[in-house]
Amino acid sequence: MESKTADKDVRQWVTESAESQAAPDGRTFLIISLKTTASISKSQDVPAKEVEITALKQGIVPCRYLRNIGTIGLDGQIKLLQSTVAVVGVGGLGGTVIELLARQGIGHLIIIDNDRFVEQNLNRQVMSTEGNLRKYKVTAAAKRVKEINSATTVSTFRQRLTRDNAEKLLGSARVVVDGLDNLSSRLVVERACRQLAIPYVHASIGGFNGQLMTIFPGDVGLSSLYGSSSDTVPEQGIETRIGNPPATVAMIAALQVQEVVKIITGVGAPIRNQILLVDARECTIDRIELGR
Amino acid sequence: MALITVRFYSLWRSYLGTDSTTLQADDIQDALTQLEDRFGYQLREKLKTAGVHLDGKIQDYSLILLNGITLRNLKSTALKEEDVLHIFPPAIGG
Repeated sequence: MESKTADKDVRQWVTESAESQAAPDGRTFLIISLKTTASISKSQDVPAKEVEITALKQGIVPCRYLRNIGTIGLDGQIKLLQSTVAVVGVGGLGGTVIELLARQGIGHLIIIDNDRFVEQNLNRQVMSTEGNLRKYKVTAAAKRVKEINSATTVSTFRQRLTRDNAEKLLGSARVVVDGLDNLSSRLVVERACRQLAIPYVHASIGGFNGQLMTIFPGDVGLSSLYGSSSDTVPEQGIETRIGNPPATVAMIAALQVQEVVKIITGVGAPIRNQILLVDARECTIDRIELGR
Repeated sequence: MALITVRFYSLWRSYLGTDSTTLQADDIQDALTQLEDRFGYQLREKLKTAGVHLDGKIQDYSLILLNGITLRNLKSTALKEEDVLHIFPPAIGG
């Protein structure tokens, strides 16, 4: 009974606090500001995320998501806020993915990395700064998410994902995102995601080029590219020779986040049973259908 | 003997200056030998100019798929008309 009463109070507060705001196309939206959301969250003792979901369910848009709604709709934003996404690795891809997922309004992020920042990370890892070198990556990522979106909650794990801990770390995720930099770890994550029946958004980069594929349980996966035997998996790619520049990381990480949004909201179609090859040097995007 | 298409992606496309070629080949090994003869030297020279020194043949430092299946998983090395080989360097960073 207490929670129903609390729900009702939140709804009332949200409705009474809604303001009218015109969108660029002239349509008028009812919105709720960040400040009001925080105030209701505090006075009603409910998470900011719940205030935002309550507002959206009444057609009232948290102002911070106003520019999301035209793409994914109110229902899409609600689904994102109700979802948990795990990001394995807080390097170049992982850091940018986390930044964008927080801005997109994912409800809960699981962030996994056992590493600390070093100077060579500064070119592309958006969570790294000159001031946090030698600090743990997950700590910086959690701090950044909190600064961006107080409605997004975070669980951090300062450890390497292994076969033994995969279920515990990833089990509650709706989607798992690849922020890794080596194939052997990616294979561990792919295997775990298949076992847990969670979609896995794989990506990797080198030079001006990046690749991406979303792997649902039952889909073809990394073995289509690298073979089924762990003996044949290359430890290093061309990136060890031609580098990992920042814009390539941002480009591919952005596509990973689009995959997450598509999976959760149902808007659009993820890249499944295909490898997407993006070449910024030649300005081309190719898809190759993959077989078993 | 089958007429197949070879598609290059990523850095190989840039360095070879083309996105595809065709060739007549008996089987995978024949196709790879012809590819090496036609493009191997050019590719290594381009890489060398970029400061990247790779030993071996194209197949030693490329991902190669036949109709979307890695050569490592192929059950047969025979080729048929309109088969497509996809070739690109592995990019594993993040």
